[in-house]
Amino acid sequence: MDKSPSNNNISWIAGVVVAVALFVLPLVLARFGKTGEYWIWVTTEMIIMALFAMSLNLILGFGGMVSFGHAAFFGVGAYTVALLMKKAGWPLYLALPAAPVVAAITAAIIGWFCVRLLGLYFSILTLAFSQLLYMIVFQWYTFTGGDDGIHGIPRPESLGAINYYWLCVVLFLICFLVMRMIVNSSFGLSIRTIRENLERAKFIGINVRRYQLINFIIAGAFAGLAGGLLTELNRFAQTEFLHWSKSAEPILASLVGGMYSLVGPAIGSAVLMFLKIILQQLHRSMVEMWAIVLGLILLVVVLFAPGGLVGLYDRFFGKSES
Amino acid sequence: MTIEYFIFMLINGLSQGMLLFIIASGLSLVFGVLRVINFAHGSLYMIGAFVAFSLSTLMAGGTLYSFLVLLLVVPPILGVIGLLLEVSLFRRVYGQEHLLQLLLTYALVLILDDLVRVVWGGDPRNVARPEILAGSVDVLGLALPTYNVFILAVGPIIAFGLWFLLYRTRTGNVIRAAVSYPDTLGALGVNVSWVMTSTFMLGCWLAGLGGVLTAALANIDLGIGMEKIIECFAVVVIGGLGSVGGALLGSLIIGTGITFFQLPFGRWALVFPYALMALVLIWRPWGLFGKPER
Repeated sequence: MDKSPSNNNISWIAGVVVAVALFVLPLVLARFGKTGEYWIWVTTEMIIMALFAMSLNLILGFGGMVSFGHAAFFGVGAYTVALLMKKAGWPLYLALPAAPVVAAITAAIIGWFCVRLLGLYFSILTLAFSQLLYMIVFQWYTFTGGDDGIHGIPRPESLGAINYYWLCVVLFLICFLVMRMIVNSSFGLSIRTIRENLERAKFIGINVRRYQLINFIIAGAFAGLAGGLLTELNRFAQTEFLHWSKSAEPILASLVGGMYSLVGPAIGSAVLMFLKIILQQLHRSMVEMWAIVLGLILLVVVLFAPGGLVGLYDRFFGKSES
Repeated sequence: MTIEYFIFMLINGLSQGMLLFIIASGLSLVFGVLRVINFAHGSLYMIGAFVAFSLSTLMAGGTLYSFLVLLLVVPPILGVIGLLLEVSLFRRVYGQEHLLQLLLTYALVLILDDLVRVVWGGDPRNVARPEILAGSVDVLGLALPTYNVFILAVGPIIAFGLWFLLYRTRTGNVIRAAVSYPDTLGALGVNVSWVMTSTFMLGCWLAGLGGVLTAALANIDLGIGMEKIIECFAVVVIGGLGSVGGALLGSLIIGTGITFFQLPFGRWALVFPYALMALVLIWRPWGLFGKPER
């Protein structure tokens, strides 16, 4: 049943084609002037949010732990970059690597408490911690700027829109390969064993809590990187990055794309963002209705296609039972 | 801090707590029977508040009569909405993994919150209090806002009503049995799905009541649903998921806690519910009144 990324040649070729296409895309888009610039910005954000969604899926799809507080680490990464660059004057190449590190440390502290709980209680505790962080960031005006956020984060001269896009693509691909390695390693296998049957996992000698904690920290680190990247793209950090509704975004993306595969959440995330923009283009008032549309999509997926798009693809093209 | 000021703060905190209890008890009750944490409970509460606003403008409110109409009409409207939601959606996800249940209710949050925005817009609004509840009452030489005292009176009535319903009536026996032994209950010839529907309706009724009471207490806007649902989570987590008595305790702790921490900590008092929720989950995940599930 388990749908690990298949190791066959076709998926490798497809992966290389997609990667090359991602690299060439901005060159094509750049020919379209203003619209092109807009789309370069949009695709950069898509790539970052795809990374965020994939990071959550390490604990959600592969670990079977429903975290409703993943935005905490996204936000911590974002504020790390913002504060280090704006207040401490660090350059980007130092501040950006700091984001996953600080996020990982935060995840280690929060995760240490959370992995002690199961199921619903785990979900609520992650939610409690992320709201706690949210409130702290919200109230601490002198340090985080409260709900004004932190604006005007500097951007190095050399990083124009296209260069920044490429930076994000490179980091995304590296993260993807690392995650792929993790998921297919013996560690990844143990994590999935825990998801399938906790008792049996304990019985065969897996230290469940430690594995879940490590997984939680890894996922937090990737989320922190995504947060840092988005902050530098938008050149601001705001409290919304930590709000619980932000935590729901990668869950939706995973659900829509399919949470039992590595790329599923990335696809889901891109599809959702794309859909939003299409609606925006169709009619301006449709932006107002976006949440309703998103809610309806979610209802349909929950009720009729819990496997998401990847699950549907597998069902119709019958490559699931490998 | 003088004793008068202390009492003043206590009354204020307790009335905040009672209001929270009315809303959170619905969430807790629904979780107890349906085993679904309803993220949309806050949205239903918000709808209650906005419907109350619209009705009161229709009636050119401000009189005691129109306020009573709101109290009598709005909660049942929410009950009917609950009926529709339960029969059409919630029923399909009972017993499924809780991720799907959470997401179903989250989908409802997205839809309902946006509907409220489309229908009522984003401006802050409020409902005029009837004159008799607008002023202040003299208690021991203290001028207390009448409306807060009123809420302080409504809360225990609701708490007593729920207690009476759950522990002194046959319906209550059935509801409590549905929490622990749904299968046995079905085998005894009780229509369990109807029990679930009615409990959900009661939960929504309470959300609606909370909405009406809030609309006349403070400004309501689009954010109140999301804000309140997290506070409700804190309450039911502290009290124990599914325990109405626990919800009462949790509400009062949070209501008075926020009020009293405002003196030394100012705005930071708002961090209190989340910190307490995290502490309780770490120390006693099943809450102060709940029982461990495993």
